Amino acid sequence: MRSTIRQITAMSRTTLLSIPRRLAISLSMVGSIMLVVCVLSGFLAMARGFEITLQSAGSPDVAVVLGGGPREEGNSEIPPDVIRSLMATRGDIGVLRNDRGVPILSREIVVPVEFRTDPDAVGETLALRGMDETGPGVRAGVTLSSGRPIQPGTREIIVGEQLAARYSGLGVGNRVRLGPVNWIVVGHFSSFGSALESEIWGDIDAVAAAFNRVGEVQSLRLRLAVTDQIDGLSRAAAEFVGAQLIALTEAELYASQSAGTARLVRYFGWPIVLLMAIGATAGALNTMMSSVSDRTVEIATVRAMGFSRVSACLATWLEAVLLSVVGVGLGLATSWLMMNGWEASTMGANGTSLAFQLVVGRDAMVEAALVGLAIGAVGGAVPAFAAARLPVTDALRGRG
Amino acid sequence: MTISETNSPFIALSSISKAYRTRAISVPIFDNLDLSIEKGEFVAVMGPSGSGKSTLLNLLAGLDGPDSGDIKIAGQRLDHMGEAARSAWRAHHLGIVFQFYNLLPMLTAEENVELPLLLKPFPASIRRERVAKTLDLVGLCGFGRQNPSRLSGGQQQRVGIARAIVSDPTLLLCDEPTGDLDRASADEILTMLGYLNRELGKTIVMVTHDPEAAEAADRILHLDKGAFVERARVMS
Ligand SMILES: Nc1ncnc2c1ncn2[C@@H]1O[C@H](COP(=O)(O)OP(=O)(O)OP(=O)(O)O)[C@@H](O)[C@H]1O
Ligand SMILES: [Mg+2]
Repeated sequence: MRSTIRQITAMSRTTLLSIPRRLAISLSMVGSIMLVVCVLSGFLAMARGFEITLQSAGSPDVAVVLGGGPREEGNSEIPPDVIRSLMATRGDIGVLRNDRGVPILSREIVVPVEFRTDPDAVGETLALRGMDETGPGVRAGVTLSSGRPIQPGTREIIVGEQLAARYSGLGVGNRVRLGPVNWIVVGHFSSFGSALESEIWGDIDAVAAAFNRVGEVQSLRLRLAVTDQIDGLSRAAAEFVGAQLIALTEAELYASQSAGTARLVRYFGWPIVLLMAIGATAGALNTMMSSVSDRTVEIATVRAMGFSRVSACLATWLEAVLLSVVGVGLGLATSWLMMNGWEASTMGANGTSLAFQLVVGRDAMVEAALVGLAIGAVGGAVPAFAAARLPVTDALRGRG
Repeated sequence: MTISETNSPFIALSSISKAYRTRAISVPIFDNLDLSIEKGEFVAVMGPSGSGKSTLLNLLAGLDGPDSGDIKIAGQRLDHMGEAARSAWRAHHLGIVFQFYNLLPMLTAEENVELPLLLKPFPASIRRERVAKTLDLVGLCGFGRQNPSRLSGGQQQRVGIARAIVSDPTLLLCDEPTGDLDRASADEILTMLGYLNRELGKTIVMVTHDPEAAEAADRILHLDKGAFVERARVMS
């Protein structure tokens, strides 16, 4: 047993010391594994970042009421009499009320708007959300980072930090054209980097008037009295039979939205990564086959001394695994240094753009590392057996 | 030890047949070959190229097997052993010297010589000691840390010999050990083999093309067309 370990150690050492002789092809194996690791962790970081952004956007303290059936704001519709009845309820529905006992509630609509940095540029679709004056306050963790709040009934807007950072045209005091009319940016708001920061907020009546949607309400936002306790509101909503109301926490709403997109990114990413991984495995196989043929005489010589097949096999396999460890290490380092925190943007809800940061998380790194190691382990297996079964006498005659 | 074993020669090949088969043809190398070599003998094997000299050494080393016939060395049937047992057998009983030295270029002379010791249960200190002693024996004291590529051909072959004898095997197989050397270096190597044979009692089987080299042996076997033609040294 001790001798076996010593044989394997000695064989592995000579194998690794001989890598400089075939540096180019060894580096190509390291490089291809590194690439696979980078691409996979890139996809996973995208999916994860998207999830985190949307999940953090949704607070478990905020209730959203949607009407008409769908679980997303875009096609939801709340009839005006429902709003009146809700505001008039005296029973306990689990939401915060103002000092006159009326539930604090914000009526909201979201309109996709074209935004151009200059008249000739291609427009980008952004989300303009019209809301009541109570809107920012109903939400948890929203603060005004510069400027002032919107005056109700005016064409004033406040802009999320992510957007403000991306477009200098959205600075406080600027006049911007969204849809058919001009708006004045009066402030910027932050919400700890969540998806809310990709929105523009305005007064609901001004927004509805500008886009011919007067009287329309898509959703209601209310603040829950107890975190995550939505049951009271759900029961109240169920009483409006015709309106098909759904009450859910904002966290639930965004989670169900992000789940779809994140899944899409992953389902799209994995096949690409697997194809690349197959290519990289073929490359690893080729690299290791050339390692075996490069070391033919050395392997045959020590086998003639009495070294075992196992040691020839394991040393070769170890070289493959070690090269893939280097590839994985470089790949993870690269993706972490270059991608973690990278700003990206994608389609959010309602067909509008949503900024999010790539997050190279621990799970993504572990998954990418395992795929990278598997490439080396699988690609090195056949050459390892070739090394074990190397015909010693032919190799010593120089016919290896 | 039984009487029959005491009386039987150290190496006994009987009725060995061996042919190389490719898909189309079969090239016979040996047909009913017999050979016996006593313990402590120094035997040279000569013969034209392709006559099967290296094949014979491969059979003696257990690197290749006969198609039929028995190979018995030190009382053990080599042709009955499996792959792993033959590896272990080589590690304990055999040293091989190659024409082109076959030193591992990424290791120092010392590390090359140490390799066979790794197959045995020696602690590092004993291994170091034996490597130093063996390098000393082949006249390479002080060259241990050198890389083989920095040594002359004759020095490299001496490292090769040191590696073959470091674990004190009873049998040395040498395939044209002087084939790649100039006369002076070749003579040094032959003197060394003679010393190992006479003073340390190694049994040596050496393949050579060089009649002068063959003179160093006790007995010269001429291999031709798959059979031995034995001649007395004085006659050659
Ligand atoms: N693996 C093999 N497959 C087919 N033929 C082989 C194989 N190995 C050896 N031979 C043939 O067997 C014959 C004997 O080979 P061997 O190497 O034993 O000769 P040799 O006497 O050592 O020759 P040389 O003096 O050139 O080294 C040669 O004709 C060779 O071509
Ligand atoms: Mg030969």
